[in-house]
Amino acid sequence: MMLDPLVQMISIPFLAGLVCIGLPGQWEKARAWLSVTACAITLLNAVLVFGGETRTLELAGWPLLHVDQLSGLMLVAAAFFALLIAIYSLGYLQSIKRSPPDDADTGSRRIEEPSDDWQNRIYHACLLGSLAFSCIVFLANDLVLLLTAWGMLALTMYLMIGVAGQDAADASRKTFVMVGGSDSLLLLCTALLWVEHGSTRMDAGVLSLNSLPSYIAFLCLIAAVVAKVGAIPLHSWLPDFAEKAYAPVTAYLPASLDKLLGIYLLVRAFTGLFEMTDGVSALLMVIGAVTILGGGMMALVQQNLKRLLAYCAISQVGFIFLAIGTGTVAGLAAGLFHMLNHAICKCCLFLGAGVIEQKAGTVDLDRLGGLATRLPLTFAACLVAALSVSAIPPLNGFASKWMIYQSIIESGQDNGGMLWVVWLAVAMLGSALTMAVIVKLLHAVFLCKPSPTVRELKISRAPISAVVPMVLLAGLCVAFGVLVNEFPLRWFILPAVSEPVTFTGTWLAGQATILLLIAFLLGWLVYALTLRNGKLRKVPTFIGGESLDEARIPGVPAGAQRHVEVTGVDFYRTVQQLPVLKSLFVMARMKMFDIYSSAGRALARPIRVLQIAHNGLLSFYLIWFVLGLLAVVYLMMEGIR
Amino acid sequence: MNNLIPLLVVIPMGVAFAIPLAVRMNPRLGELLSILTALTLLVISLFLPSQEIIYHIGNWPTPDGIDLRVDGLSKLMLLIISGLALVVGIYSVGFIRQFTGHYRYYTLLMLMVTGMNGVVLSGDLFNLYIFVEIATIASYALVAFGGEHEDLEASFKYAVLGGLSSSVILIGIALVYGMTGTLNLTHLASRLDGHVLTPTLQFALALLFCGFGLKSALVPFHTWLPDAYPAAPAPISAILSGITSKAIGLYVLVRLLFNVFGITDDLLLLLRWSGGITMVVGALLALGQWNIKRLFAYSSVSQVGLIVLAFGFGTTAGIVGAIFHLVNHAVFKPLLFLNSGAIEIAAGTRDLRKMHGLRSTIPVTATTHMVGSLSIAGIPPFNGFWSKLIIVVAAVNAGFMGWASLVVLMSIVTLAYQLKVQTAAFFGSNTRSPEVTPSIATGSRSNAEPLFMAVPMIILAIGCGALSLLTLTGLDEPFFVASAAEVLMKGVFTW
Repeated sequence: MMLDPLVQMISIPFLAGLVCIGLPGQWEKARAWLSVTACAITLLNAVLVFGGETRTLELAGWPLLHVDQLSGLMLVAAAFFALLIAIYSLGYLQSIKRSPPDDADTGSRRIEEPSDDWQNRIYHACLLGSLAFSCIVFLANDLVLLLTAWGMLALTMYLMIGVAGQDAADASRKTFVMVGGSDSLLLLCTALLWVEHGSTRMDAGVLSLNSLPSYIAFLCLIAAVVAKVGAIPLHSWLPDFAEKAYAPVTAYLPASLDKLLGIYLLVRAFTGLFEMTDGVSALLMVIGAVTILGGGMMALVQQNLKRLLAYCAISQVGFIFLAIGTGTVAGLAAGLFHMLNHAICKCCLFLGAGVIEQKAGTVDLDRLGGLATRLPLTFAACLVAALSVSAIPPLNGFASKWMIYQSIIESGQDNGGMLWVVWLAVAMLGSALTMAVIVKLLHAVFLCKPSPTVRELKISRAPISAVVPMVLLAGLCVAFGVLVNEFPLRWFILPAVSEPVTFTGTWLAGQATILLLIAFLLGWLVYALTLRNGKLRKVPTFIGGESLDEARIPGVPAGAQRHVEVTGVDFYRTVQQLPVLKSLFVMARMKMFDIYSSAGRALARPIRVLQIAHNGLLSFYLIWFVLGLLAVVYLMMEGIR
Repeated sequence: MNNLIPLLVVIPMGVAFAIPLAVRMNPRLGELLSILTALTLLVISLFLPSQEIIYHIGNWPTPDGIDLRVDGLSKLMLLIISGLALVVGIYSVGFIRQFTGHYRYYTLLMLMVTGMNGVVLSGDLFNLYIFVEIATIASYALVAFGGEHEDLEASFKYAVLGGLSSSVILIGIALVYGMTGTLNLTHLASRLDGHVLTPTLQFALALLFCGFGLKSALVPFHTWLPDAYPAAPAPISAILSGITSKAIGLYVLVRLLFNVFGITDDLLLLLRWSGGITMVVGALLALGQWNIKRLFAYSSVSQVGLIVLAFGFGTTAGIVGAIFHLVNHAVFKPLLFLNSGAIEIAAGTRDLRKMHGLRSTIPVTATTHMVGSLSIAGIPPFNGFWSKLIIVVAAVNAGFMGWASLVVLMSIVTLAYQLKVQTAAFFGSNTRSPEVTPSIATGSRSNAEPLFMAVPMIILAIGCGALSLLTLTGLDEPFFVASAAEVLMKGVFTW
């Protein structure tokens, strides 16, 4: 009997995940290949489903599953990322086990616990489980089903970060409380919609925002989305997660799958659950704008590669919110496209960070450097992905940001008002911030002279299982950028939006690419010719227009500016000294913007009061009893109202 | 079949007194007899019919003789009581070896079961009171069973506060008898039906509310609990939190309010507020707690609050949610307490700050604990998620938006404190800093997690998953708590 492909997509990874738990401890290779196979089959199924038609599948008499072009797109993307991560994991867990070079004296984080069978089992089971539950979310036609899968995704995420061991305890708790807690909010939203429509079907109708329950339902849904994708103000789990979890886990869940899930739910919310009003639009755009700026600013000052990437990911989510917040079809298309592009780039960068962590033994920016020659393929892939994130034409990141700008302008023209100028300015500034962050990253990790740590290490080439996914992703960055109209928009995005989209500004990616290549060629010619003539001017080292103050760089004798090596860590340090930003950065360092810590601090006082009240003295407790008794008697006799 | 009903009380009571004699022949007979008794009780309760039966002892008619009554709600309670007694009995075989005087333990356990079964079956207030006392006094002794300083102190506090509540209950019962001239629940309900309560009866009801409120640990009457549960041996904490406080406290409270005195809007409001306050206070205290058993104890307070809150919605959905959550709580909270026993043996401490990396020492506990704590935090696919969903939907449906939001917020707090235990106890490896946890190095898997302790934990963990499958039948009639909820929704007993 052939099962329906929709059911297969859910059941095959799920069952394969169960098998992964069941396989004997030493069969690590078998587990890894099983993951790859299951993901590949799922991808195949997803492509079939995406090519198929919109339909609803009844299971046991309930119309539980529904597939349309949007969910098809998400399914293909999710299965694709899962497959890449499964391939990457072929070599990753084994190499952790072989205990890479460690330097205990400097106290940097290293992967210290050997991964035992339990970790290996959990890792693969959760990799496949996440895919299965994501498929359920994308296919669900029933709110309770969606809610269940959403909660289980939080669980697999918690387990997957836990694989990294003791160090990850706090980060995993924080992640699960924030993301799993958002599931509770989604539950409230589900309950409200259920009561409102009398049904849990997702196509039951559109709820207009005009009453308190509808507002609460809407806000709960937005909170769940915001927590999942890591937008401000529920972003604070993401940097911790990225820092502590294994790199492929970060590349898989927060960098790609969670973005897909969150944005999918957001889009679904506005295409079938809630009415899109001006207020909603403004709310989304405010979240987007704050996220872009906050994430970008925080990324500027990070010293840890993984945290830097995490904040950069937060910042990019803001663009997606901004695009979808416009409420136009063009904005929707731009948002979806940017989501896809960002997932591709960020997944590639995190995978690159994983390679770097394994090879160099650290992800501290000031202890890296010079890796461009030692890990050439990793460098090439990360370079493409990084340039794409910072929206360099003709890569895909530029294409989607270009669409976002246009949708903002278009919505401004439609609605009147001048607010769109602000959004546009924020988007532009955000792009610049991203660019600045990426320059710092590329310089510190790959281009500057190697740090002493790196110099001492013998760095071998990255394993083929790690290079293949990264190169594939980098290739996609180029392909999605150069062939933007012919390939991604035509085959993926526009079908998913299912309404005609028009863009005012034309971007002929093909011609532009040729022109760019010609310009590069000319530039190289100029450079080569000048170099041959020996007309090279040397100046003191400077960063971004500021002359380098030698006092700021430890270990460099005064007067040696000419030969100062810039590690890249110092970039943008002055940002923290600017008047308003200074206090904001101080507050950020005190975790004032971290809602998890803030809630913990806010609850500490009432808890303390309650603890003092529970002093363990019997006489005291007897008084409690008598007072309680008196209160109840009074209420009963007097009537409560 | 109906003639088996008195056996539910007679068998455990007989076994309780037979155990001290039997252990003279063979010291293992105590364990064996208790497990067999629990099994027998479970079988009998399984075969009880779901519709209402009133069994007249000695065939005396209702107001004159003693009645035992069985209906959907009491059948459900009986099932939980005997099921938990069975699980706890098996666990005790592995756990109680570290104490002396095993037979007393099993005698007391059987007495507690006698008391609970009696409470659930009693058809009149006075017998109900007697059985409450049997169960409570057995539990005072069980709390003190460890014999350490803090065990005795906890037991003493529990006994004083419990004695106070019992006397308040007795005064309440006396007033009710004085005003109505009957103690039979059915008869009493028919006499009260249609009348506005006189001030004396209102006073009596307030006394009963507070008395049974203490037994079920409603704030501010919960103060005995955070001492008693941690002091008791782990299996006793399990049964106390899982069912005893529910059977002799909450069950009676709900019975009296819904089926005898008749529920009013005022009483529902009182239930909602006391439940809501209990839920919040318990959850916050659990969040601030580092002693693993005390944390679970406060968590019990919080969960009772949630159940009472859901009863307070007064709608069918609310009552279904409350009873379902009560059943779920009777599965996952005992599981957590049983786990805490294994954790305590493995880590040699109850302080969460001093333990870590226990997964390799007690792998079964690590997994079952994951299931238990995710269930209680309401994470799908486990049972707690479904009862939380039903309760929230019920709240929204009844128009209590504020309470619905509060339930949701508290479930996030619940998740936070459960994860605190998870990450503290099981994360990482046990190779580091052995000086902090000396017993990890010496404690072997066999004595922290013997088969007799592992099996009950596995059973309960499977229960957490299995109960959530039951929701697939829909929440209407085939749902297993529907008949129990119906009993309460039908209002006062008719005669």
